[in-house]
Amino acid sequence: MVFNSLEFVGFIIPVFLLYWFVFSKSSVYQNLFLLITSVLFYVWADWRFLILLAASILVNFYLGIKIYKVPEDRKKSIFLYIGLIFNVGLLLYFKYFNFFYEGFYDVLASFGLASEHSALQILLPLGISFFTFQTLGYLTDVYNEEIEPNTNLLEFSVFVSFFPKILSGPIERAASFIPQIQEKRKPSYEVAVDGLRQILWGLFAKIVIAENCAHFTNTIFDQYQDKSGSVLLVGTFFYAIQLYADFSGYSNMAIGISKLFGIQLMRNFATPFFSVNISDFWRKWHISLTTWMMDYVFTPLSFTLRKHQKKGLVISIIATFILVGFWHGANWTFVVYGLLHGIYFIPLVYSGKMNSSEIVAKGRMIPSIKDILKMLMLFVLIMLTDVFFRADSVGMALDYLRVIFSPSLFTVPTVLFSNVAIITLGLIGVFIVTEWVNREKKHDFEISNYPIYIRWGCYIMLFSLILFFGKSASTFIYFQF
Amino acid sequence: MEASAIKVRLKDVLVSILDHDNFELHDELTAKDVDGWDSLSHMMIITKIEEGFDIKFKLRDLNKLKNLGSLVSVIQAKI
Repeated sequence: MVFNSLEFVGFIIPVFLLYWFVFSKSSVYQNLFLLITSVLFYVWADWRFLILLAASILVNFYLGIKIYKVPEDRKKSIFLYIGLIFNVGLLLYFKYFNFFYEGFYDVLASFGLASEHSALQILLPLGISFFTFQTLGYLTDVYNEEIEPNTNLLEFSVFVSFFPKILSGPIERAASFIPQIQEKRKPSYEVAVDGLRQILWGLFAKIVIAENCAHFTNTIFDQYQDKSGSVLLVGTFFYAIQLYADFSGYSNMAIGISKLFGIQLMRNFATPFFSVNISDFWRKWHISLTTWMMDYVFTPLSFTLRKHQKKGLVISIIATFILVGFWHGANWTFVVYGLLHGIYFIPLVYSGKMNSSEIVAKGRMIPSIKDILKMLMLFVLIMLTDVFFRADSVGMALDYLRVIFSPSLFTVPTVLFSNVAIITLGLIGVFIVTEWVNREKKHDFEISNYPIYIRWGCYIMLFSLILFFGKSASTFIYFQF
Repeated sequence: MEASAIKVRLKDVLVSILDHDNFELHDELTAKDVDGWDSLSHMMIITKIEEGFDIKFKLRDLNKLKNLGSLVSVIQAKI
């Protein structure tokens, strides 16, 4: 059941009413109701993996308490390692088994040792990449004495399974999520309306922007062999916008829905295309994943390699980004995607500009020419790298890029000469301008301080655009990860 | 060692890595308040402190560093 379906509307309205009017007596009632709702939601999406989710909750709950309670440091680390092996093991088995299995067979085959084989049919449990990262972070935080373990199984179960975020994040941290559900949530009109605005914006991004772009990217990427370089370049442009609109749209809907229940999830995107360098971009793109990687992979790694100064830092960054790429799926394309992003950091490390991250043209409407050029150059780099994200294989991505950098790049991209293309570009314009105007706000559509006629003008405009140009969509790109 | 003596030596470490002294050392000072104290220079500062005070940090110590005051107490506990 995706957020942008009538089914979901039919689900969320009664859930909302029951939550605030029937199960509102105490935090226990609220949490119990959220757990039941989340289980229903998960079962609806895919009932087969409910036991897996339950096992993950129970094992991590128990291990968290164990890590905290055993007195000796050595035993603490043993329980932490059990947790790491359990969680990473789940991911490796369900997500990466065939990748390594195939790789292993290829090696054997190259020595003439392997006979015929076929890949195992392993289904990917929904949301597994997201909830296992949450529990991994939780155990590490308990081990590092950043937080105390949660000793209330009901609360912990809601933390892992809360339905707005179970399928595709944001990857929450116990330290910010659990305290929110330990107290009784009180209804707030402002928060709920703000949530609705965010849902509306997410819906627009997903079914108007992402889906209209998909119309082009699907044809261009599927039949890239008979297209010219200029058309393929247009394809990468549409794909970069599609990927962003799809996932930021999903995230905004998830965060907005959560607000309806009085729970604040972390921001996942902060207008990433308005960045002036790659480090700035990753601070604003899929924030819940990058901060996770920063805390649990990059920091320990760069700490271990600290004697090697800048070289150690470069190795840590590249290793972290390969992992970021590989997190997306068991395919070499994602490894290359991560590796390239890691490499883009090298000039920043050596020029010492790693951490310069600011809102572009803060307090002004018009950016400087220099900022515009920087943003454009970064965008082009990212959109070309996204070819690896979209392609089925590294070979296909390289082929695709080879055609872009061929003389046919200087032909006229006829794909743009249609009403659909012009309308889609216009819609992208609306999308980008709105994000630009709101780039200093808490989210992309935070318009609470505008006068009422502007607010309602925006709502009516978005509703009409959704009605006229919205397309139904039954999945999100990030559901496969 | 006295907290104040540690701070004096810390200042030298910071100045040698960051190449400036535009900061006041007080317990609530955080990396964010100091120009150039980012994730890159942080590890270099940590390494320099380890050499200067002849101590070894653990990753867990690092996670506990919230401000200059906590850095001083972690160092104090180690020497």
